[in-house]
Amino acid sequence: MTAAAPLGRRRSLPAWALGLAGLAALMAVVEIAPRAGLVNERFLPPFSRMISSLADQAGTSGFWGALLETLRGWALGLAIAMAAGVALGLVIGAVPLLRSATAGAIEFLRPIPSVALIPLAVLLYGTQMRATLLLVVYASFWQVLVQVLYGVRDVDPVARETARSYRFRPLTRVRTVLWPTALPYVMTGFRLGAAVALILEITGELVIGSPGLGRQIAVAQTSGAVAAMYALVIVVGVMGVAVNTAARATERRVLRWHPSVRGEVPA
Amino acid sequence: MTRLRAALAAASVLLLAACGSGQGSSDASDKGPTSVKVDVIPIIDVAPVYLGNQKGFFAEQQLKLQMVTAQGGAAIVPAVVSGQVDFGFSNYTSLIIARSKGLPLKVVAPGAASTGKQRKDFGGVVVKANSPIKTAKDLVGKRVAVNTLNNINDTTVRASIRAAGGDATNVKFTELAFPDMLAALDKGNVDAVQVVEPFLTTGQKNGGRLVASNYVDTAPDLTIAAYFTSQKTASAKPELVKRFTAAMQKSLQYAQAHPDEVRKVLGTYTKIDPSLTGSLILPAYPAQVNAASVQTLADLAVKDGLIKKAPDVQDLLP
Repeated sequence: MTAAAPLGRRRSLPAWALGLAGLAALMAVVEIAPRAGLVNERFLPPFSRMISSLADQAGTSGFWGALLETLRGWALGLAIAMAAGVALGLVIGAVPLLRSATAGAIEFLRPIPSVALIPLAVLLYGTQMRATLLLVVYASFWQVLVQVLYGVRDVDPVARETARSYRFRPLTRVRTVLWPTALPYVMTGFRLGAAVALILEITGELVIGSPGLGRQIAVAQTSGAVAAMYALVIVVGVMGVAVNTAARATERRVLRWHPSVRGEVPA
Repeated sequence: MTRLRAALAAASVLLLAACGSGQGSSDASDKGPTSVKVDVIPIIDVAPVYLGNQKGFFAEQQLKLQMVTAQGGAAIVPAVVSGQVDFGFSNYTSLIIARSKGLPLKVVAPGAASTGKQRKDFGGVVVKANSPIKTAKDLVGKRVAVNTLNNINDTTVRASIRAAGGDATNVKFTELAFPDMLAALDKGNVDAVQVVEPFLTTGQKNGGRLVASNYVDTAPDLTIAAYFTSQKTASAKPELVKRFTAAMQKSLQYAQAHPDEVRKVLGTYTKIDPSLTGSLILPAYPAQVNAASVQTLADLAVKDGLIKKAPDVQDLLP
């Protein structure tokens, strides 16, 4: 599904080509700077050495195991955050009393950086995957919840009153009125949550030492294996791009009926 | 259709969540070997556990090791105290501090010790090749990087300075992680760094100069680290602790006698460059804690103001 290119940029390169060119330039800089002695190559090895280390690691089962652990933690954390965020968001958002009662608590809890909860997570779950999962869920939950709350607030009053006049049962009301209005917000929450979940998954592994790519980065660091460390950082970067692309694709698919995605003039 | 798909998505999300919680609570203990969680830092010091596990010393004791790694004692101590893991690895000064604060810890086996050989220890203070610092005494008034402030490394560097006849109170310690130290030294952010292997060898290969073996200067055959458990585990499962200690003893003795195998096992849990492992200086892996050296560490902890009153060292021996 390719959106029509904006007018006026028709003659320039397509966006993806520009993006690739930028990436290639970055790689070239990382390759040349250490070789030219601009930075000490003991601390920032040339790009090619990172890639060759990556190739070495890709041949080990430890690497793939770690990659799977990270993906599993991320997916599980995001899934829990989505389920909890959507369910609580719909309930809290639909009941004005609940919304005012929880507003203060939400505004207090939301800005707490997940990283600050690491000591708590370790006390509760040790250095296991669950400690990191707690951070991931905590961070991405708020992204989802707040979006859902906004979404529910956005419901057209006429539609809401109409549903009420027709005495729709609560579940029917959620399905036909609340959900379609909130869905674009839910998807935004999903996209934000997916990115935040990955960040916290890696942070947790790195700091707490739960299994995954983050721990591999930490091990490479404590082993003084600089190229191996950067190689893993590159993998995490690629994962970030993949997660974002997948989240956007999902968003477009789920919302293909929605005017914002259809790209037509809204009725 | 969309609605159906959304409902399906929601259902699968819930299912995933359910799977997750089910998985987490299934740490069932079999009839066979007891599962034991050991929380360590992935450094050279803990090689005997990995080697001993490979050699089957833990299986002999009906123990099934589950290695957990953390970035430092700050994560390990709470994990042990809360019972998330059965045993942990920590340096002795951290244990002394924890004990003096009343944390219910019990040492079960020694971990690693200084080799006791001047200039041939696994940790030391390194300066740049052209630095005016020649001995530990010259560190007075200089900026020295240690991995944790108010812990074993700054107290032992101070001991080194005192031994060389310098004023140990006049040193500016900076906290830096081991992996960041050589870069900081290179850039001139600090005048000296207290590093351990593999950074000690890497630093010297790249022109760094060793000026002091701070662990050797502190006490003869200084015991640096130990394996510990919580007092709760120690009194609830004395049999388990006894078996772990026995396996650990055997592992330490084996590691001490087979340095080549230690170097080989490093490749299984660290990412240390294989071309480097041959030249690293390994710590000593003693089967006994050197009680006198622990007393020295406790006295240093008091002298340097880490704690008010030294705990009874007897409580910190296996």
